[in-house]
Amino acid sequence: MRPLHSNNPFLRSLTRTLATLPAYQAGAALADAPPAFTEVGVRYSHYSEDDIDASSVIFGATNRYDIDITQLWIEAPVGASWSVALDVQNDYQTGASPWFVGTDQNGQPGVIMSGASIQDNRVEVGVATRYFWADGNAGFNVSHSDEDDYEALSMGFDASWNTAGNTRTWTTSVSSSRDQVNPTQGVIPVFVTNEELDTQSGYFGVSQILSRTAIVRVGLNYTYSDGYLSDPYKLNDQRPQSHERVALSAGYRHFVIDANASVQLDYRYYADSWGVDSHTVELGWAQHFERTTLTPYFRYYSQREADFYQVTADVSETYFADDYRLSSYGAITLGARWAINLGDWTFELEGERYWSDSNWGLYDGDPAPALVEFWRGTMAIIWRFD
Amino acid sequence: MGGPATLVIKPPAGNSATAATLLNEVQSRLADLECRYSRYLPDSLVSTINRRAGSGEFTRLDPESATLLEVADQLWHSSGGLFDITSGVLRKAWRFDAADGAVDLSQLDALQEKVGWEKVERTRDGIYLPLKGMEIDLGGLAKEYAADCAMSLLRGRGVTSGLIELAGDVATIGCQPSGMPWRVGIRAPQGGDPLGGIALSNAAAATSGNYARTLRYEGRTYGHLLNPQTGWPVEGPTGVTVIGENCLSAGAVTTIACLHSPEAAMAWLSEAGLPWLMIDRDAKYTGPLAVELGLMTA
Repeated sequence: MRPLHSNNPFLRSLTRTLATLPAYQAGAALADAPPAFTEVGVRYSHYSEDDIDASSVIFGATNRYDIDITQLWIEAPVGASWSVALDVQNDYQTGASPWFVGTDQNGQPGVIMSGASIQDNRVEVGVATRYFWADGNAGFNVSHSDEDDYEALSMGFDASWNTAGNTRTWTTSVSSSRDQVNPTQGVIPVFVTNEELDTQSGYFGVSQILSRTAIVRVGLNYTYSDGYLSDPYKLNDQRPQSHERVALSAGYRHFVIDANASVQLDYRYYADSWGVDSHTVELGWAQHFERTTLTPYFRYYSQREADFYQVTADVSETYFADDYRLSSYGAITLGARWAINLGDWTFELEGERYWSDSNWGLYDGDPAPALVEFWRGTMAIIWRFD
Repeated sequence: MGGPATLVIKPPAGNSATAATLLNEVQSRLADLECRYSRYLPDSLVSTINRRAGSGEFTRLDPESATLLEVADQLWHSSGGLFDITSGVLRKAWRFDAADGAVDLSQLDALQEKVGWEKVERTRDGIYLPLKGMEIDLGGLAKEYAADCAMSLLRGRGVTSGLIELAGDVATIGCQPSGMPWRVGIRAPQGGDPLGGIALSNAAAATSGNYARTLRYEGRTYGHLLNPQTGWPVEGPTGVTVIGENCLSAGAVTTIACLHSPEAAMAWLSEAGLPWLMIDRDAKYTGPLAVELGLMTA
């Protein structure tokens, strides 16, 4: 199969005009079909947390995590109705993280860091296959993740189908995973040897084309985990054995014809059985040029702390944690994605900066001393061929 | 629309629609388009617009027709005025349909006065031809659009394997029921067996040619495609085939290519970035599809 996408300005302009005719509208013109060509891609991301403020540290190094993520994938059509995909990802993590929060000689909370010697490598391999029919498609995937202290096997099934003259797309998915936790002894003592965690998740959502320039999406996700949910590398961390999570998400895309750009607005509400709930709002502007698309975006996040979170954990309670990720805080992300298409090749770059502060949230709570701030950069090369 | 049609479909499993039902629906859709866009039917929208030329009366357009005229406007701009749906009146001087292929150049200057898309008055939902005798002809768009409409209708009925051919333009859904891509032959200008078979799946192939209707004038053979700026037949490629996601886009690229000189046509086709094949006046084949079909070496 030959690539039939063209970046020729005349054809792009013609496509925009034809998009107003029902015969060419997204669902109708692009009935579900396997990819017409094979796609091979490689993506590299570097995630780098800022050093923790020395005034917040009672003992230990101030540097935090750096993670290098390399992903390779291939997706290819098989016959008239199927596609298969292989995805391999390697994460290499170095640095230190908060071990626990104590108090200094002035009674002020401060972090005792784990030391700077943590190194970990994770490899995940996933395979997926997908069946396409005129009004929808369904996929099945299996993945296995392995690292020194953690092993996970997961599988999932998803399906989407079109109704209402192909203007409405329903999507559902279910997944299940079993994780084995075998923490390694390092510079900090670990008191856990062999634990398990089972997780089941389900999603149901719908997207609706409102007009030739607008589409809206809503979805509901439910996840239930049962097993070992604490962080074995934190001294004072005793979490419940089960965790129920619900997330409601919504998105809106509006194409602005005159600007050749689209406005992207997303919202997500999350709540769980540990008392955490959060709001995420993201606003993006995808500006299309002849061969490139530049998408700056802004994201705001606000979280309410878990019922058992305290700045310094009270280990006399049934459940306790001093993990900053369970505290009340707010966060802002600024980023931009850039993609250029050169025939069969696509190049992507993305960079984002994340700041967090206990005063930026919508909810009250004691300020955690170890909130994280980070940079993340990503580059990808994608090649499509017959 | 003045040409033969072929429809091949595999009715969807688990759907009550039979092949006969689907065929009826496609025929109804094509008939609806013909009733509006045929210049041969006196009550069609196109005939009404033409009849009102110079009368001062605008013709109101439905959104679909207004969009097709917007497409015609884009093709006119992109071709530097070579694609002009008002150029049909020149056929009164170049009578390709006449049995004797007669040429009457005495009225060419007068006819050219009535050619020019830039003279047409358009509003958001209306059109008016300001000169009596002006005409529009959507023949360069309507057939390809009809093929796309038929495929869209069938997709909406759950058809996953289908092909329609309208006088040489082909649109497909999925692959053949066997799972193999559809194979579409290209007619050779000199006649005889088709030139190989192009594999198509969820794609369309449009062909424009200057060989199907010709006439001889003063010892030379001319094809039926006319240059609206000179009033004379263009001396472009003999034939062009382009594959695209839909038939109308592929057809737009082929039609504009055929209105250019062979050299300019090659540049236009290469720039368009879609798979193409060109047959020049010396019956030489060029383009990625010519390589694919073994008609030329890479």
